[in-house]
Amino acid sequence: MDFRLSPEQEMLKEAAAKLAAGFGHAYFQQKTAEGGKQEELWAALGEAGFLGVHLPEAYSGGGMGISELAIVCEEVAAAGCPLLLMLVSPAICATLIARFGTDEQKSRWLPPMATGRTKMAFAITEPDAGSNSHRISTAARRDGEEWRLSGTKYYISGVDEADAVLVVARTGTDEATGRARLSLFIVDTGAPGFEATHIPVEIAAPEKQFTLFFDEVVLGSDRLLGAEGDGLHQVFAGLNPERLMGAAIGCGIGRFALERAASYARQRSVWGTPIGTHQGLAHPLAESKVEVELARLMLAKAAWCYDHDLDAAEAANMAKFAAAEAGLSALDRAMQVHGGNGLASEYGLADLWGTARLLRTAPVSREMILNFVAQHSLHLPKSY
Amino acid sequence: MNVAVCVKQIPDPAGELALDPSTHTLVREGKLILDDSDSYGVEMALQLVESAGGGEVTLVSMAPNNETSGLRTALAMGAAKAVLISDEALAGSDALGTAKVLAAAVSRIQPDLVLAATESTDGYTGTTPVQLAELLGWPAVTFAKKVEVSTESVTVRRQTEAGYDEVVSPLPAVVTVTAGVVEPRYPSFKGIMAARSKPVEELTVADLGLEASAVGAAGARQQVISVQAAEERKAGEIVTDEGDAHQKIVAYLEQIKVL
Ligand SMILES: Cc1cc2nc3c(=O)[nH]c(=O)nc-3n(C[C@H](O)[C@H](O)[C@H](O)COP(=O)(O)OP(=O)(O)OC[C@H]3O[C@@H](n4cnc5c(N)ncnc54)[C@H](O)[C@@H]3O)c2cc1C
Ligand SMILES: Cc1cc2nc3c(=O)[nH]c(=O)nc-3n(C[C@H](O)[C@H](O)[C@H](O)COP(=O)(O)OP(=O)(O)OC[C@H]3O[C@@H](n4cnc5c(N)ncnc54)[C@H](O)[C@@H]3O)c2cc1C
Repeated sequence: MDFRLSPEQEMLKEAAAKLAAGFGHAYFQQKTAEGGKQEELWAALGEAGFLGVHLPEAYSGGGMGISELAIVCEEVAAAGCPLLLMLVSPAICATLIARFGTDEQKSRWLPPMATGRTKMAFAITEPDAGSNSHRISTAARRDGEEWRLSGTKYYISGVDEADAVLVVARTGTDEATGRARLSLFIVDTGAPGFEATHIPVEIAAPEKQFTLFFDEVVLGSDRLLGAEGDGLHQVFAGLNPERLMGAAIGCGIGRFALERAASYARQRSVWGTPIGTHQGLAHPLAESKVEVELARLMLAKAAWCYDHDLDAAEAANMAKFAAAEAGLSALDRAMQVHGGNGLASEYGLADLWGTARLLRTAPVSREMILNFVAQHSLHLPKSY
Repeated sequence: MNVAVCVKQIPDPAGELALDPSTHTLVREGKLILDDSDSYGVEMALQLVESAGGGEVTLVSMAPNNETSGLRTALAMGAAKAVLISDEALAGSDALGTAKVLAAAVSRIQPDLVLAATESTDGYTGTTPVQLAELLGWPAVTFAKKVEVSTESVTVRRQTEAGYDEVVSPLPAVVTVTAGVVEPRYPSFKGIMAARSKPVEELTVADLGLEASAVGAAGARQQVISVQAAEERKAGEIVTDEGDAHQKIVAYLEQIKVL
């Protein structure tokens, strides 16, 4: 067993941290306030090759794995710029295309996604199918050589900045179980019959969420990704990377919050000594440090399993759970250490609360993770 | 156009630094990183070679324990290769001793130009590069804020208190660059992966044909007798504005005779 990063991972971590530090949380706040996007940061990461570290070299990727992508995602979040779209475009969509795409699809989509010039959103959630993907009703039916897609998706992130959306749709029903047979489709955001409406949420972040309506959107045969009817099985291959990026953001926010909190607690003095002297503040921060480091360890293990083609589901779920809780709790404690300043825009903590809190619910809720652990790790009866 | 860049690998300034209680020198155990000051020289060198349309950038570093972490960072930025001089006999080197070692290494490389930073972040005597130039018998141009090369010469805008001097020097030469002369690039992922397989030649004092007695503690002419903590800065005087703050400030400036 070796817990050290490789020299290349070490350098990647350093380079990503340095790049992100050039932007920092003030940049994130400014973009949020202006209604802008983290375009410059995304472009710089793409240009450096950091958004495609896990993609094949033949398609402009770095030829490494999800461990490396998680390093980038965590460092950027730790610099105060959580990038929700890293969960979606590089982690799920590019991974699925690299795994299940035809040569033509890979050449068309992967190089621009690796360099960050093209972004792809991911749409699985529906008003009546969130935690339960078997109830997906958005459907694609064959029409000669083409497909016609109709239905609704919601809470789809980043559609306004994406060139395309990877949509999970029903293409049939399994006669034996009555469950949906799912397939994956790449849909252009500008396609006729495609409409997106913004869902206002209380998350202070540049990324926005949308409800999508598909009204007989015509898709060529080159837009079906992977095998028809095998969509759910394929999506599972992309869900672990997505969970791991969720975990990486949680860990990154936790680190960001703890660093700010510790530095404030060393300097601020109310009764003649720095407030960090009071164990009522020091211990919660120390406890959060323990929790964040444990989550990081599980994240590293899960990513390592994934990269070594070992079953990563249990570790990825646990990492996502632990990181979401650790990040949120560290942020809450960092705010407490800052007193009234913890709520001030200037101190750049409270605005991250929505993002940190989101990680408890998305990309997979804490309850569904606990269901998984209860059932698969503890062999308890399935409750639903 | 071949450029050699002197790069110092130093303990992370953001970490906890310590002085050896007996020798009063910086403890250089653990990982060393590329001195940020030298990332400007590396970037400048890469740009000069790119615009010359040929040649390569070679790094030269003297560091303990065969440390290459900082060199890998500079190789990831795009330098072609590196020469590392590491030898127990170098412990306790002073700036002149360091310059002797660097000069011997540069002589082997025979570049058209040597770049260094005006001063390092940890030792900051700012004397090594000029001593290096003297030992090589090459001209030294310091405090460059802009560097251009032709086949025969280097043209430097040299920072002065009033502005800058334009200095033209024949090649080969040693030029020291100031921070901010160029914006150092971030190593790209391709660069990081390529750095793995770039050559780092590791040399000892004997390999350079130097006498061990001329370098390291044995050859050092400088000795640190004692180290004292800098005096704490006194708290400033706070002028509260009650409508007369400007008068108080003027009075204060007159009192210290700057007005
Ligand atoms: C900001 C944001 C961005 C998002 N981005 C995307 C995106 O880009 N693409 C996308 O497809 N989706 C996205 N989502 C959707 C997200 O993945 C879902 O909201 C999440 O998976 C939960 O599904 P749901 O909202 O339908 O909740 P529901 O399934 O309605 O669940 C409601 C509650 O019941 C709990 N619950 C459900 N079943 C069980 C059970 N069996 N046992 C115990 N508890 C249970 C859930 O945990 C949850 O707490 C996003 C959501 C948000 C808020
Ligand atoms: C008492 C004492 C003990 C020392 N012990 C050791 C030791 O044990 N091991 C050891 O390796 N060094 C040792 N050194 C050397 C020291 O770390 C410096 O390399 C040397 O003194 C240069 O001083 P400086 O940092 O002030 O450089 P400056 O003159 O401020 O540096 C200007 C520029 O010169 C170049 N440069 C300087 N040093 C190097 C270098 N080492 N390699 C490549 N480029 C360089 C860089 O471009 C740098 O930015 C010791 C120095 C002293 C004074």
